[in-house]
Amino acid sequence: MQEENDFIQELLNPKTQNVAFQKLMQDYQRPLYNHIRNIVLNHDDADDVLQNTFIKVFQYLKGFKGDSKLFSWMYRIATNESITFINSKSKRNGTTSEAMQSKIVENLKADDYFDGNEIQLKLQKAINLLPEKQQLIFKMKYFEELKYEEISEILGTTVGGLKASYHHAVKKIEEYMNSN
Amino acid sequence: MKDFKLNNYPKINSGFQIPEKYFDTFSDKVMKQLPNQNGKVISIFDRNKRWFFGTAAILVLSLSILITNQIQNKNQERVLEIENYLAYQSSISTDDIIEFLDKDDIEKIKISNSIDNQTIEEELFKNIDLENYITN
Repeated sequence: MQEENDFIQELLNPKTQNVAFQKLMQDYQRPLYNHIRNIVLNHDDADDVLQNTFIKVFQYLKGFKGDSKLFSWMYRIATNESITFINSKSKRNGTTSEAMQSKIVENLKADDYFDGNEIQLKLQKAINLLPEKQQLIFKMKYFEELKYEEISEILGTTVGGLKASYHHAVKKIEEYMNSN
Repeated sequence: MKDFKLNNYPKINSGFQIPEKYFDTFSDKVMKQLPNQNGKVISIFDRNKRWFFGTAAILVLSLSILITNQIQNKNQERVLEIENYLAYQSSISTDDIIEFLDKDDIEKIKISNSIDNQTIEEELFKNIDLENYITN
């Protein structure tokens, strides 16, 4: 924690800020990209959201109280930015976020940056049928391999609640995979 | 697929691909958008280049159309002013004006007033000084 506090000080100090922030990006750009991409599905959208996420991290660092880990705080910003992005985009297109995401998943095969095989595509379709929060929990646990404690810090849900949600998600996905 | 069990099945990846070298330039892209240490505001230009140029192009186009219209209107007004002056206010006679017309001008007048040869003939016959016109 002390190490993290020292790093936060470097991020806040104008003299060391640039170097520190570039290191922060080096460390977190890939995991945050993957997290965002799992939510928004499309690369270009993920790129936009990832940029916005880091810009917000930079802007809000001054107000970071250190009551959670830097990692959890950044993931929270990334998650919120992703969901806000989907909601705004669907509103602009005159549709619901569920309908928009379904359309993207249905067209994944034609996406230049999706090279999943049949089972990967089927899994994406199965996940898409889950409620939004359950999708998020499943993706963070299954694809991103985050620990329940980490997911709990990010989403603000208890570990028990997360385990139950993940268990239900898995059951529904298995039903879908077995019947389609 | 019978009896698929996620935990028993080999890990299935998301299938998402990332463009090659995407991360090589990512942090530079973000750094350019951050306020500098003097606290300057984030450049809207950098973040939204497409929108900036698009909006600028629309503004320039609109202004050009507006200015062109204004110039054309001004020209038309000038032409009208001159015509009105010649027709109603000047001491220049119709004969004087005719003196200045060349063959092209006459053709243009014929076209704009839909004057055909038959009409010209009819007008000539009304005028008994036919000989003057033929010899001149």
